[in-house]
Amino acid sequence: MTATPVIPAEKARPARRAPRARSKSWWVPYVFLAIPLAMFLMWVIGPMIYSFYLSLTNWDGVSAPKLIGLRNYVRLFNDRVFWIAIANNAKWVVSFITAPVILGLALAMVLNRNIPGAKGIKSAFYSPYIIAPVVIGLIWGWMYQPANGLFNSVLRAVGVTDPPGWLADPRLATWCIIAAAIWRQVGYVMTLYLAGLQGVDPSLIDASMVDGANPWQAFRHVIWPLLSPVTVVVVVISIIDSLRSFDLVFVMTRGGPANSSSVLANMMYIEAFNNYKMGYGAAIAVVLFLISAGFIFIYLWQTLRSELEY
Amino acid sequence: MSKWFKFASVLVMLSMLIALGACAAPAPQVVEKVVTQVVEKEKVVEKIQTQVVEVEKPVVQTQVVEKTIEITQVPVTNMVYNSYQSDPAPRQVDADIVKMFQEKYPNITVTHSTVAHEDFKQAIRAYLTSSQPPDVMTWFAGNRARFFIDKGQILDISDVWSSEGWNESYPKGFQALSTVDGKQYFVPTSYYWWAVYYNKKVFDKLGLEPPETWEEFLQVCETLKENGVTPIVSGTKNAWPAAAWFDYLNMRVNGPEFHINLMLGKEKYDDPRVKKTFEYWAELLEKGYFIEDAAAYDWQDVIPELVQEKAGMYLMGQFVMDSIPEENKADFDFFRFPIIDPNVPIGEDAPTDGYFAAANAPHPDAAKAFLAYLGSKEAQEYVAKELKRLPTNTEVDTSGFDPASQKGMELLKAADYIAQFYDRDTTPEMAEKGMAAFQAFWTDPTQIDTILADLEKERALIFAEE
Repeated sequence: MTATPVIPAEKARPARRAPRARSKSWWVPYVFLAIPLAMFLMWVIGPMIYSFYLSLTNWDGVSAPKLIGLRNYVRLFNDRVFWIAIANNAKWVVSFITAPVILGLALAMVLNRNIPGAKGIKSAFYSPYIIAPVVIGLIWGWMYQPANGLFNSVLRAVGVTDPPGWLADPRLATWCIIAAAIWRQVGYVMTLYLAGLQGVDPSLIDASMVDGANPWQAFRHVIWPLLSPVTVVVVVISIIDSLRSFDLVFVMTRGGPANSSSVLANMMYIEAFNNYKMGYGAAIAVVLFLISAGFIFIYLWQTLRSELEY
Repeated sequence: MSKWFKFASVLVMLSMLIALGACAAPAPQVVEKVVTQVVEKEKVVEKIQTQVVEVEKPVVQTQVVEKTIEITQVPVTNMVYNSYQSDPAPRQVDADIVKMFQEKYPNITVTHSTVAHEDFKQAIRAYLTSSQPPDVMTWFAGNRARFFIDKGQILDISDVWSSEGWNESYPKGFQALSTVDGKQYFVPTSYYWWAVYYNKKVFDKLGLEPPETWEEFLQVCETLKENGVTPIVSGTKNAWPAAAWFDYLNMRVNGPEFHINLMLGKEKYDDPRVKKTFEYWAELLEKGYFIEDAAAYDWQDVIPELVQEKAGMYLMGQFVMDSIPEENKADFDFFRFPIIDPNVPIGEDAPTDGYFAAANAPHPDAAKAFLAYLGSKEAQEYVAKELKRLPTNTEVDTSGFDPASQKGMELLKAADYIAQFYDRDTTPEMAEKGMAAFQAFWTDPTQIDTILADLEKERALIFAEE
């Protein structure tokens, strides 16, 4: 994506702009960039470096920070809750790159035809995405409520005598939250795929049909490869969304019962702002950042490489 | 080229203007003006006073009266008060108190903002360390306040204590809670008791009496369960309601002295005495006396079960009554947490709430005036009347209090030791780990040895850093 503006500039060169003017106004783009760059330095790079620094201190939010070397990290890697959070983050990532992607693609394929009411159905599926996550957490929290919630009321009505405790059950809590998150994510993925399908030339599909492909073969060998740039975007967005999952966890269980549904972002918040261990919280943030940065790096590397091939 | 240049320079200028505007935006300049005017007036008044003192001494007292009149003509000081009283009933009372204060001090306006209880606990650090902290804040007495006092974040209000005569009118225990190194920093204003609340209708229907001993308590639980009533409710989504069970069982089994030493990190969590506490707790859990899936509920969520007579008892602070509907309040009463070992001294949880001011409060005089009002007989009487919290100021006449408050005061008078609460008696981090451990124990009591071993590891680590 970042490479696209460069291409017209390169193409413009053969038009023989005066090279003298170019070299004199070399600074003009930087004037335009100055403000966004200053903001970027101030609000993104600055805090990032500061977090790295804080993770090496024992800052409690009030006293002056004191450097303690890598003690926060040593402690973190020996913290049982940290490994629970990592495992839960892995559950989030795996769930997010499978369920919403498959469901969203299936919905997009179905709704891409001109069936009556398609617009209404599309809006209905997209609507969870425009609701604030906190509200979704509350709504699903009520549905999961063991005594009078929707799920258990239905289960009891059909004769289940001992319905699960959902969010109160340490083995189920994380999956319950992920289910709510997937419900929110599906409509968004569907919209991305619908946009992607607009770019698929229908004559290609027609041609494959003429050549005797059945609908599955047409999908598998024509549409799916053409959608691969969208899939890359979807997968990367899903991974990043799943890694920063915090709001639903915080609203629905606060990481409980007994840390069983904790994720890194939630653990970081509780350590930093509840237990007043800013240094320790910063160390968790740094680990989370490195994991996210790894995925973003893979993404950029893939996209840049493929775009340069054009 | 020149076009580019012009456009670029206009852009730069615009951005600089915006930046300048952003710098000029904050309002405190106006506030500062008002403050300096106050100081000037006070100076003038004081000069007059000293002159008078030189001429004839007896008039001093009347001059002091004149001074206060002078100040009321002074421009208005706008002080900031941040409160965690976010539940509906206390929130209303909080607003009333501010209004009553303003009627008395027309020269001070109070910007009153309320932040949700749990969020406030986290936001207070940002408040106190900012360059413009709120002047007055609600907070908890004891260790929680001590943390900030030790770091020099809290305003010394010894002068308020002496001028208001609180060194006489407040009991010694509350004085000690507010004092560090001989100086006072805190105004304790109210406290409340914890007890087992129960629905009288349920008890009457089944012919039950409030239990006094552990055996009687187990019997009551058994009868309730046999009759299809959940014996005990709790909502442990925020883990603190579970901590109440630990506090009480530990104090009843091992005595308050051991309990408080454990809170201070002087005893170990893998001590066999701690395990004994958990064995009593496990008995209740294994017999199914607690509501199922307690961790799914917030503390208020289970109150309907009690009101609808589907459940019997709830170990809670007095504030539970704030959330019980008006028409059902008469159905509820409480009893002291049952005695397990009669030879063990009785400890009770009675958390004390109050107020303090920031050390670098922008309006320290207004803050002190407000604190003085909050600790006064008038304000405490109002809070006691509306919310049934107990007043700390002994000048408040408690003889007219309703029977519940009388009973609560009796309960605390009979106690040998008053604890604050698990998350106030120990450090915030230890409280967080401990309460997570209680949740883990609640879902699987058989894991007790692993849970306590883990907790002991945390305790050693946390208190080694202190």
